[in-house]
Amino acid sequence: MRPFLSAVLALVCLAVSSAQAAHTQVQLIFSADSVKRGDTVLAAVHLTMDSGWHTYWKNPGEAGQATEIKWQLPPGVSAGEIEWPLPSKLPPADITTYGYEKEVVLIIPLTISNGLPTGPLNIAAKVSWLECNESCIPANAQVQAPLNIGSDTKPSADDALIESWLAKVPKAMTGFTAQAFWQNTTTNDTRPLLLQAAWQPARAAAGSGNMDFFPAANDNFEVLPDAKVILNNANELDLGKSVKKFSGDWPKEIDGVLITGDGAYEVKLAVAENTPSTVALPGSAATTRATNNAPQSLWLMLLYAVIGGLILNLMPCVLPVIALKILGFVNEAGSSPRKIRTLGSIYAAGVLVSFAVLAAIVIAVKAAGHKAGWGMQFGSPVFIVCLTTLVTLVAMNLFGVFEVVIGGRAYDSAGELASRSGASGAFFNGVLATTLATPCTAPFLAPALGFAFAQPAAIVLLFFLAIGFGLALPYVLLSWNPALLKLLPKPGAWMEKFKIAMGFPMLATVVWLFNIAASSYGKDVLWLGIFLVVVAFAAWVYGEFVQRGKNKAVATVITLVLLVGGYAFALEKELDWRHAMPMTDAGSLKESANGINWQPWSPEAVAQARAAGKPVLVDFTADWCLTCQVNKKTSIEVDSVRKKITDSNTVAMVGDYTHFPDSITTELNRFNRAGVPLVLVYPKNPAADPIVLPEVLTPGIVMDALERAAQ
Amino acid sequence: MTDYMKTALTFVVSLAFATAAFAVETGKPAPDFTGTDISGKAIKLSDYKGKIVVIESYNSDCPFCNNQYRTGAMQEQQKQLSDKGAVWLIVDSVNTKNASYRTPEQAKAEWAQRKINATDWLDDSNGAIGHLYDMKTTPHMFVVDKDGTLVYQGAIDNKADPFHDPRAADNYVNDAVNELLAGKPVTTTHTKPYGCAVHYGI
Repeated sequence: MRPFLSAVLALVCLAVSSAQAAHTQVQLIFSADSVKRGDTVLAAVHLTMDSGWHTYWKNPGEAGQATEIKWQLPPGVSAGEIEWPLPSKLPPADITTYGYEKEVVLIIPLTISNGLPTGPLNIAAKVSWLECNESCIPANAQVQAPLNIGSDTKPSADDALIESWLAKVPKAMTGFTAQAFWQNTTTNDTRPLLLQAAWQPARAAAGSGNMDFFPAANDNFEVLPDAKVILNNANELDLGKSVKKFSGDWPKEIDGVLITGDGAYEVKLAVAENTPSTVALPGSAATTRATNNAPQSLWLMLLYAVIGGLILNLMPCVLPVIALKILGFVNEAGSSPRKIRTLGSIYAAGVLVSFAVLAAIVIAVKAAGHKAGWGMQFGSPVFIVCLTTLVTLVAMNLFGVFEVVIGGRAYDSAGELASRSGASGAFFNGVLATTLATPCTAPFLAPALGFAFAQPAAIVLLFFLAIGFGLALPYVLLSWNPALLKLLPKPGAWMEKFKIAMGFPMLATVVWLFNIAASSYGKDVLWLGIFLVVVAFAAWVYGEFVQRGKNKAVATVITLVLLVGGYAFALEKELDWRHAMPMTDAGSLKESANGINWQPWSPEAVAQARAAGKPVLVDFTADWCLTCQVNKKTSIEVDSVRKKITDSNTVAMVGDYTHFPDSITTELNRFNRAGVPLVLVYPKNPAADPIVLPEVLTPGIVMDALERAAQ
Repeated sequence: MTDYMKTALTFVVSLAFATAAFAVETGKPAPDFTGTDISGKAIKLSDYKGKIVVIESYNSDCPFCNNQYRTGAMQEQQKQLSDKGAVWLIVDSVNTKNASYRTPEQAKAEWAQRKINATDWLDDSNGAIGHLYDMKTTPHMFVVDKDGTLVYQGAIDNKADPFHDPRAADNYVNDAVNELLAGKPVTTTHTKPYGCAVHYGI
């Protein structure tokens, strides 16, 4: 190694301004060919790495070494600090380092003193770096280049290249404030840290790209590479990091580069110590935040929710219902203001109650450990079939095929239902508007919803109610201010035509819902179509012969036969509509047909299997544990391990720590673990100790352990 | 910021870090492991209870390790410490596909050629011990006292440079072992390891 390096060194010393070591080329360039005395010129060391090789940032991270530049400058020229362009996290493996692949331009300002005579100067430097791919090679090179001192400063051919890299250098912190908080006290070497940046006024701090924090190098601690974006909206970014301490006290100050949606910034943050808090959580110590600096965030998000609700009124999936509502108000214009107010309020109540029900569903699903998403009810085929049928009936109603009867009285339009039928009609409109609105996530609503889904139950409820409030607001305002109602067109014959016209968007909604249903039922969705036709026909028989006809009894029987027959044949027999895509997978923990046959973990189950002389694999996992999911995907639910488990007659058990059950906490403590992942393999021999697998698994590790356990 | 939001943030942050459980802490029992040495013999850490154990994460080709061995400083230190009754385990976690992987035969040849004075060389090419100890770099050093408590983890010395003279540097491992032998508490218990990344397999 040594003679080889010496030979390389000898070679590179022969080069003039460019040098090549094993896998990196180095070149010294300037932003100007000719510089005026007193000016500053940008010098740059251009490192070009062979494919697969990289060099390091000023903080190399968990391994590696920063590139160094030692200048040999003539008198009158002084060099500043290196401006480091933003590096990448490398490699994407167990050990994270910060560095550059392919190439990097390290920029150094050189100041030319006033006293220098004009003429050429020779600028030289020794550049040392560590280059790594699968292995690492330390290398250095002597570089030099001429620089002319002249009467003015002229940009060089390399100026554009240097400028383009200068643009990648993190900027000074501007336009936002940032703070750092310890998340809890700890006796461990690793402590969670919350970094928070707030923009005033709000601007697009969000966006694509990875928000992160790259720390400056420090011998006493390392801000670990894993980053978690906790909150990301237009005016605030909350980033979860953790600090590993090597020596001394926990740092009082953290400096490095904060990477936000709108750029990378140099930050130097005092870390606020935690104070006692009333918030205690299972599985972790008490947590607090030192300051409450963003009291407006919640209100702002609620405001977005209200605005989002307002916009929902204009969404294609709600627009048809507006027909019902407008007709209702037009009709109401003539009656007493008090009654209008009452109906407006009841409509709002219908909306709010529906949103409260949705919130309750979300809360319940969240509590059940599933990831709830907006519009998730649209993932249920049963719900889709019901809604498609309902909307078809609404369309038939608008076309005047039949009328809706409430309280034994027939009405001649759904519009009148909303008005004259009073309370129940208004309430029904509110519920219908809500049901149809859910899949239309208006752009405004997205951040509000994203925020709400990560919140506790009370906040979720508040958000849903805010959206409902926004949806109901225009009608409440109209009903409380009858003067505005006068602006609405007068009722007349046009209403009947308008009503029929509004039936077509409703039909379009049916087509849209039908298309969603197709994704669940495949080709069999044809039977849903046939059922809808039967339902529409039944509606016509009902309207024409039951409501308006003479032979009511026969017509009623025909209607019922159509409905029951259509349901039994098309939906039940042919479509088997309730079994398209089961919502729950309870009963089996298998992830796929050929997946591992997981059993629920319990100490008794382990004891029982061991007594039977079987090896046992236990995977303690949690929905929120990313490492667990990665382990499972890459190293447990893989063919080789599945086969090994079957062949060695190993019992696979899964312990779900998502909700911190005490039994698992106890078990984790027994193995000195504070949390999951924990994967154990109990050998066949009931007396032998279990094999504790490392936190990060490879299929090889699991296979080895299973092999040993089976012996 | 309302209490609700505080609660929510707290919860999310806690979840984010609930997974960050670190098994290796100075002052706590060093996690036990069983490895295979280059002669195929099973080596168990707890079998050395009663002796001071130095664990070295090793990669022959890493310039930072190479500097310690090329200068003979590491072999000298291994000899000195084993003369004082300490055990020195080399852990090579380089994966088998890496150019720096050594088959047991190559490792034996390297042992002889470099005149390594360690107690044993463990083939950890599956990374089990490396991951268990969260070994980041080569060299990454660990010192375990006679009771099996981890008393030091981190760099070998205070000069993160592949060309320095190791004998002129402040050697943390030497300091820790000598303090243990003198019955004193270890002064420097944790430093930031330097060197090349350990080449684990994926």
